[in-house]
Amino acid sequence: MTLALMSLLLPLASALVLLVLRARSPVLMILATLGSLIAAAGALYQVVDGGEQLLALGGWEPPLGIRFRLTPLSGLLLVFTALIHLLVAFYAAASRHSQTRHTDYWPLSGLLHASLVALWLSNDLFNWYVTLELLGLVAVALVTLAGPKAYRAAMRYLILSLVASLFYLLGVALLYGRYGVLDVALLASLTEADATTHTALLLMTLGLMLKAALWPLHLWLPPAHAGAPTAVSALLSALVVKGPLFILWLIWSEIAPPALARDMGFIMALAGVAALLSGGWSAMRTPYIKTLVAYSTVAQLGYALMALGLLLYWELPELHVALWLFVLSHGLAKVSMFLAAGEMQATLGSKRISALTGATQTMPVAMFAFAVAGGSLIGLPPSGGFLAKWLLLQPLFAEPANWFWAFAVLLGTLASAVYVFRVVALAFDRAKPTRPDFDPHVLAQWLALIPALLVWGMALVSQPLILWLTGVTH
Amino acid sequence: MTQSLLFLVVGVCLWVIGLYGLLRVRHVIRRLIAVNIMGGGAFTVMVAIAVRTDPVDPVFQALVVTGLVVAVSATAFALRLASAEAHCTRRRESRP
Repeated sequence: MTLALMSLLLPLASALVLLVLRARSPVLMILATLGSLIAAAGALYQVVDGGEQLLALGGWEPPLGIRFRLTPLSGLLLVFTALIHLLVAFYAAASRHSQTRHTDYWPLSGLLHASLVALWLSNDLFNWYVTLELLGLVAVALVTLAGPKAYRAAMRYLILSLVASLFYLLGVALLYGRYGVLDVALLASLTEADATTHTALLLMTLGLMLKAALWPLHLWLPPAHAGAPTAVSALLSALVVKGPLFILWLIWSEIAPPALARDMGFIMALAGVAALLSGGWSAMRTPYIKTLVAYSTVAQLGYALMALGLLLYWELPELHVALWLFVLSHGLAKVSMFLAAGEMQATLGSKRISALTGATQTMPVAMFAFAVAGGSLIGLPPSGGFLAKWLLLQPLFAEPANWFWAFAVLLGTLASAVYVFRVVALAFDRAKPTRPDFDPHVLAQWLALIPALLVWGMALVSQPLILWLTGVTH
Repeated sequence: MTQSLLFLVVGVCLWVIGLYGLLRVRHVIRRLIAVNIMGGGAFTVMVAIAVRTDPVDPVFQALVVTGLVVAVSATAFALRLASAEAHCTRRRESRP
C-alpha cells in the first residue's frame, strides 16, 4: 500500500511545489510521473503477489473512516494512468506546437494524475464524489489552457460536470440515509431491492453517465475535447472519462440488486449501441480533425458501455475482461491519435480534415501513428482493440438470439473503419499535398507513435493478459 | 420525524427547481445560481436525513461540510471563468 500511496503523493507533491514556487518547468513533473510509474508497478507486483490490500486512512475503521482498497485491477489502472501521463508529458515538453511548454499544464496535469489515482484507490461512495469533483475542476482548468476561444466549451463542461456531481451526491445521500454506510464492500452485503435504493442508483447512474459522456449525455464532450490543447485532449479522452466508468462498473456489479442490474444492463447495452452508431456517424460527417477524434471517443465508449450492460444483463464474467481491455486499448490508441492529429493540425495550419491531403508525404510518421491507432480502434488484429472486441463478440456469436448485438458491434466497426480510412485515404492523395506552415517536427511525431505501438504490442502478450484479467476481475 | 420529512420535501423541491432552472435559462450567472440551488437542495436532504436519529448522525454533517467546501470552490472557479469569458467577448465586440 505504501507504494500505491507513493504513486498518489509524488505527482500531488510536485504539482504543489510547482504552484508554490511559481515554476512551470516540465522536468520536475516528468521525474515525478516516472517515479509514480515505478511505484505503481511495484504496487501492482505486490498486490498480484500478496492479494488485495486495505488501508484505513488516519487509523479510522469504516463505517466512520474511509478505506483505500488496492486490488489487482486498481493496481493495473495506477500503472496505466502513470504510463499515459508519462507518454503525454514527453510530447507536451518536446513538441513545439503543444501549447503546453512552460504553462500551467504541468501543475494541473500532476493534480489530474493525483485525483485519478485517488479515484482508483477509493472504495467509498462519498470519497468518489470528492475525487469526481477534483477531476472535473482540474479537467476544466486544463481545457482553458487553450485560451479564450476554449472558454465557452470549458464553461459548459464545468456546469455539466457540477450538475452531474449533484445527481451523484443526491443518490449517495439517499443510499447513506437508507443503509448508514458508504463503504462499497459493506454496502454490497446490505442492499435490498426497494424504492429508495432504486432511486438512489438511478440518480447516481445518470450523474456518472453524464460525466463519462455516455450516450445520450455525451454532447458536451466533442467541443471540450476538441478545443483543448492537444496534450490535454489526449489525457481527457484516454483517462478522465474512464474514472466515472470505473465507479459505474463497481456500483452496478457490486452494490446493485441483481434484478435491477439486469434491467439496467439491457438499457445500458442499448445506449451503447446508440453511442456506437451516433458517435460513428458524427465522426464520419465532421469537417474537423480533432472533432473527428473526439466523436470517435463517444463511439468507443459505446463499446465499453455495451460490455458493461451485457455483463449485467447476462451475468457473464468474461465480459469484465472485455470491458477493461477496451479501456486500456482505447486509452493508448486515443493518446496516439490525438497527439498525431494535434501535431498535424498545428504543422499544416488548419483544423480541417481536408488539410491532411498528402500528409503521408509531408508528415509520414504522424500519419502512420494516426493510422496505426485507428487500426486498433477499428479492431484490426493483432491489436489491443481486436482482443477486446473478440472477447465481446465471443458470447454474442454463441447463440443466434444474440446476433442483434453482434450485428450492432459489426456496424460500429464499419463506422470506425469509415472515419479512419476517410482520413487515411486523403493522406495518400499525394498529387497536391498541403504545404506545411512549419518544418514538421520529427521527435514529436515519434512521441505520438509510441502509444500506438504499445497498443499493438498488447497483442503479443494477449493470452497471459486475458488469463490474468480473468483472474483479477472476478 | 415530521420536521425531518418537511425538510426532506423542501430539499427535494429545491433540487428539482434548480434542475428546472438549469434546463430553462441560458445566461451563465443564472445557470450557476441554478446549480447552487440544486446543491442547496442536496445538502438540505442530507441534513434532513441526519436529524432522524438521536444523537444526530455526525458522518452526514461531515459530508455536508465537505460538500459545501467543494461547492464554494467550484462556484468561485466558475465565476472566474465566466468573468474571463465575458471580458473576452466584450473585447472582441469592441474591436472594429
